[in-house]
Amino acid sequence: MSVPLYPLASLEQIEETPSLKDGIPYDLEEDLRAYGCKLIHQAGILLKQKQVAVATAQILFQRFWFVTSMKQFGIGDVGMGALYLASKLEECPIRMRDLINVYDLLLQQATHSSTSKLVSQSKHAVFKYTPMSYFGSTFYDLKDALVVAEMQILKRLGFHVNVVLPYGTLVNYLRVLGLTSKETVCSRAWGYLNDALQTPVYALYAVPTIVCAAILLATRHLGIPLPSTPPNCWWELFDADWEDVWSVCGHVMRLYRERDASDQTRLLSMVSKKGVRKWLDDHAVLN
Amino acid sequence: MNYIQLEKLGEGTYATVYKGRSRTTNEIVALKEIHLDAEEGTPSTAIREISLMKELKHVNIVRLYDVIHTETKLVLIFEYCDRDLKKYMDAHGDRGALDPVTVRSFMYQLLKGTAFCHENRVLHRDLKPQNLLINRKGELKLGDFGLARAFGVPVNTFSNEVVTLWYRAPDVLLGSRTYSTSIDVWSCGCIFAEMISGVPLFRGRDNQDQLLHIMRIIGTPDERLLRKIATEAAPSTPEGQQQAANACKQYPRYPKIPFQQVLPKASPQAIDLLERLLQFDPNKRISAAEALNHPYFTSTAAPPHPFPIGAMAPPQYNYPHPHAAIHGPQVAHVPPFMTQPFENRFPPHLSMHQHHENQMRLQRQREAAQAQAQAQAQAQAQAQAQAQAQGGGQGDMHTGTGNW
Repeated sequence: MSVPLYPLASLEQIEETPSLKDGIPYDLEEDLRAYGCKLIHQAGILLKQKQVAVATAQILFQRFWFVTSMKQFGIGDVGMGALYLASKLEECPIRMRDLINVYDLLLQQATHSSTSKLVSQSKHAVFKYTPMSYFGSTFYDLKDALVVAEMQILKRLGFHVNVVLPYGTLVNYLRVLGLTSKETVCSRAWGYLNDALQTPVYALYAVPTIVCAAILLATRHLGIPLPSTPPNCWWELFDADWEDVWSVCGHVMRLYRERDASDQTRLLSMVSKKGVRKWLDDHAVLN
Repeated sequence: MNYIQLEKLGEGTYATVYKGRSRTTNEIVALKEIHLDAEEGTPSTAIREISLMKELKHVNIVRLYDVIHTETKLVLIFEYCDRDLKKYMDAHGDRGALDPVTVRSFMYQLLKGTAFCHENRVLHRDLKPQNLLINRKGELKLGDFGLARAFGVPVNTFSNEVVTLWYRAPDVLLGSRTYSTSIDVWSCGCIFAEMISGVPLFRGRDNQDQLLHIMRIIGTPDERLLRKIATEAAPSTPEGQQQAANACKQYPRYPKIPFQQVLPKASPQAIDLLERLLQFDPNKRISAAEALNHPYFTSTAAPPHPFPIGAMAPPQYNYPHPHAAIHGPQVAHVPPFMTQPFENRFPPHLSMHQHHENQMRLQRQREAAQAQAQAQAQAQAQAQAQAQAQGGGQGDMHTGTGNW
């Protein structure tokens, strides 16, 4: 018997994600996935979470959208659920109250900065966090949503919560390639691996492929030559396919393209499933 | 629910276990009911237990048949076993001590189950007689994976609060968080001694006392080893390191007591195996897989009734089974849900298909890794040659570059 290391999405799931089936265009889903992961990342920093837990949460979050539509669950709730779950898996549990407060803060902050950007560039109102009302129901509603999200992630992923992180593999490959003495290569490649967490690649490709992509991006940007002409291609040492490596690079590089402020505002309005449903209704009329 | 709930078997901190009977097949199962807490969400013990056990299918590991998930509770359906090793020893042992044939059979099965976990990158982290279940056929099965975890690259640090005190390895007692499979091997050794003598080998009251109990029998290890384990476990600040180094000096220097003296009933081969299982230094502890090849199991000389390996004779015992009538005719009948792959009984999830390919790929890769070491030298030489040829410039960099 072989124990599966980690599940990847099937071709069917990739070609038509549940969100796409519900009418959410591919690029919008891509943006929402990336924004959901960014929130997990920011929350992880504020909560002083271990990086392994944050990365695990982001990968579970990405997997979830191959089995569930964003019309059914919001990226905010699922992001919280994923981080909460990952903190248990990595044995550094966080308090629900802290997690909920941090998410509330992050979303308020994001709304503030995006509206103040739209209103006028010159008048920068200082952001001030308004805590949730002590007696209001907001906190309890969010807590329920968090518990449901965690359960749904477990249920819909069939408890396949095993995640293999790429960092150890990166160190290994850099050693094999004799690149460990070049600090910039190491830190850059490490950074690309982290940024790749905002894309679905960890649910699409095996870890060696993603690590090769990170090394490829780092070495090319820094102008470091590696044997790359057949039959001596360095990535083949690690059993990665050029096509796959290249595709991962594409996913990562797309994160860095110029975006305008309205994209961000649109995303913010769609953090909850309510927002997504409203968007779908508005666009159904247009069609 | 497809199961009829029968009498309560036990109650743990986060779950209640009932005996149950399948409505369709009449098979007896164990139902572990986990209450979902609004304060904590899904208990992490349940998450671990399900995510790890559903992959571990082995005769010496309790099978998780199914998971039933409702709004308020989570029910895990397990293979039913009559009793745990602790109760078995109380009922069948001579003041708890088991006869050598049974000890050897149980020890073999314990190591077999443990080796299987380790092979599949799972640490049990809570092996003790109460968590080893014995069925009517004399099969021993590892149960309660509530503290287990998957391990991969050994860079992760794990929780230090694992394993019931009496079965906890000395490196963990000293604070290690980078332990691995050797932590379970230590527990196996403790259980081995307990089956032979009928009483737990090291009965400490707390962490420090437990360490002293261990040292009193296997001897205080040399200070270098102690310091190595303690400083690895301590925070890497100068103060933390200093504290760890100081802590090592305070242990009394106990000489080693030969196990033969502690366990006069044990055969020399049993003693030798025990010696290898209970090594203070985790790196020197034998692996579960290696232990299975130990002469204690392979040689036919030592125990009174030799039997072929792999076909361990079940211990000789029988007691009236409360459900003999139900069990009798149906033993040979395989219930339908057992023949079905487990994954199918979960709601739709990420396909396992690619995943197996992946697995194959990783397998190939592992093989390739050996070749890699050779290729590495070659690749490096080539890279150097290329870099030189191109005056260290950009050279090969742009081959195949698309437009991005």
